[in-house]
Amino acid sequence: MSKIGLLLGKDLRTLRRSPLLLAALVLYPILFAVLVGLVVRYANDRPRVAFVDLDHLPETLTVGSQQFNVEQVISQVQGSVDLVPLSQEEADDQLASGGIVAEIVVPPGFASKLRGMVESPRLVLKTARGGFSGRVEQQTQALVYALNRRLQDAYIKANLKYVKLILEGGQGSFLGNEFDVVGLDRAAQMLDEIQRTSKDPEVSARAAELATFVRQARLALTASGDSLRATANPIQLKVDTNAGRTWLLSAQLQAYALALTLAFICVLLAAAALAAERDENVLGRLVRGLVRLRDLVAVKILLATVIALALGFAIVLLFGVLAEALGVTGGEPWARLPLLLIGIALAGAAFGAFGTLVGAVSRESRTAVLVGFLTALPLVLLGLVPEGAARAAWWAGRAFPFSHAVDFFQAALYDADPWGTLVREGAWLIGLGLLFAAGARAGMRRLLA
Amino acid sequence: MLLSAQGVARRYGRVVALAPTSLDINGGDAIALIGPNGAGKSTLLSILAGSLEPTEGSVSSGETGAGPRVGWVPQRQAHYARLSPRENLELFARLEGVADAVGVAESFLRVLDLPDDGRWTAQLSVGNQQRLNLAIALLAAPNVLLLDEPTASLDPRQRRRLWEVATQVRERGGAVVFATQNLEEVEHFATRVVVLLDGALVFDGSLDEFSRSPEADVFA
Repeated sequence: MSKIGLLLGKDLRTLRRSPLLLAALVLYPILFAVLVGLVVRYANDRPRVAFVDLDHLPETLTVGSQQFNVEQVISQVQGSVDLVPLSQEEADDQLASGGIVAEIVVPPGFASKLRGMVESPRLVLKTARGGFSGRVEQQTQALVYALNRRLQDAYIKANLKYVKLILEGGQGSFLGNEFDVVGLDRAAQMLDEIQRTSKDPEVSARAAELATFVRQARLALTASGDSLRATANPIQLKVDTNAGRTWLLSAQLQAYALALTLAFICVLLAAAALAAERDENVLGRLVRGLVRLRDLVAVKILLATVIALALGFAIVLLFGVLAEALGVTGGEPWARLPLLLIGIALAGAAFGAFGTLVGAVSRESRTAVLVGFLTALPLVLLGLVPEGAARAAWWAGRAFPFSHAVDFFQAALYDADPWGTLVREGAWLIGLGLLFAAGARAGMRRLLA
Repeated sequence: MLLSAQGVARRYGRVVALAPTSLDINGGDAIALIGPNGAGKSTLLSILAGSLEPTEGSVSSGETGAGPRVGWVPQRQAHYARLSPRENLELFARLEGVADAVGVAESFLRVLDLPDDGRWTAQLSVGNQQRLNLAIALLAAPNVLLLDEPTASLDPRQRRRLWEVATQVRERGGAVVFATQNLEEVEHFATRVVVLLDGALVFDGSLDEFSRSPEADVFA
């Protein structure tokens, strides 16, 4: 067996004999999954929003000819927020203390404007400052959108009532004024009668002309119902919730779960393993011609790669089994496994190389673990910065293997044509790995001092 | 001559751990390196062992050109704490390129009376760990044995065993260089004495010359 193989075997045996470290390796992904679950739950949690009714809305509100049970409508449309009825004073107090994240105020005159159907009534949204405000605004917009969807039918029906009145005639009212309308049907009959009975050819001809216009107007107004509905909803969205994977089983989460787990474990493991050679005072023995410094760096990178493959395979297996068990469609959890394993190995090696660099400059394993964590954490966060957001931060993130690993995993998992991304991100991972390994090799001299 | 250090020095920034020092090691030598703490004894031994690069000067092998087999027993234990003595010996024997690593490990376990009950090295007494330290140095049958205060944690019986092993190396035409603070060991075992003071070599001569020198009074 080669010297690299001998030392790798020693490292794996040592790892097996470190129950605390081994437990951390097994429990870390589980802990990670729980944390992600909590974040998901938090992300989906409905923010508490006060509902301040200054107009004293009635139990039932009539808009057009439609009646709305106010409480029922609110409970039906509040899906994205938890609406809590509060007085203005209570709401202001709770908004100030953080008990609620926003208040929706129904100002006086809201119901009468709604009933009038001439002027759009306004709701007032008050939000706190800070990270929540944008999200609450979005969710309130969603709530107003849902309310508008319910009301637009009533508005269309009311408008169509006027159209019907113009078509068929009869008694109508607008803004409290009662009036009689002849209606196009009766107008057509009257014009036909004039045409038939008039002895003046000029009057007959004009009556015929008007009768033609009335027929055209009737045809146009008959189609106004569909036209009004189309104007209200130029594009309609049909929601099909069973068409794809849940967020928890998405390619994105799987890629982030893998990359995040490997980033921390491989960096910390390689850093600690290299520094431990000095802690145990064995480094001096090894470099006396037994092992070359670059081989020692290679051993630790290999160790990180082996652990990455074992752990990554377990995570992939877990996701695949879950996808199968839940009958989730989309993606190819098994067919792409070899590609994914190549990515895991490359990512593990690149993270491991970064870890050896940390281990070489830290000199001592406890310091190496601390420095590894403190450097990996911000670099991982920088890897989450989207390309267009902050150019410098994005480039800094690209100098760490995390974002490349995520892109590789996502492409390997679900891209229809992944090869371009795989080659590019694979080259990045190899390049960064070599760069870090060279740095670690140079830094090893510090360990020998 | 088995090993020769030519003007080797080691500096850490502005601190001089070892001033330029030359030392020739010949077959049959039993060289005692003496000096107070921080005199540069361990630094010189580490440079001779090849585990520490000198900031200047060089170490070369003797006239034979074959290159000496150097065994090194550092002052601090240098083995893997979570491996048993047998596993440590087999691993280092394989790294040294010993053909029958299992057999050689077995023989050193027996010769140096090392425990072989599967316990990790970290669970052994300091004396046992020191004997394992010595055993690892002997794996490649060295003809130059470098010992850095090797008897510090050994009982009298184990000390005798250590000097027996060192004598065997000399009897095979090899040399032993040992750092010590114990003048009794110097008198019983050394043929040559090297005195280091504040990182500088201040005396290099036979045991008789040393006993007549003013340096001997300093260490008496």
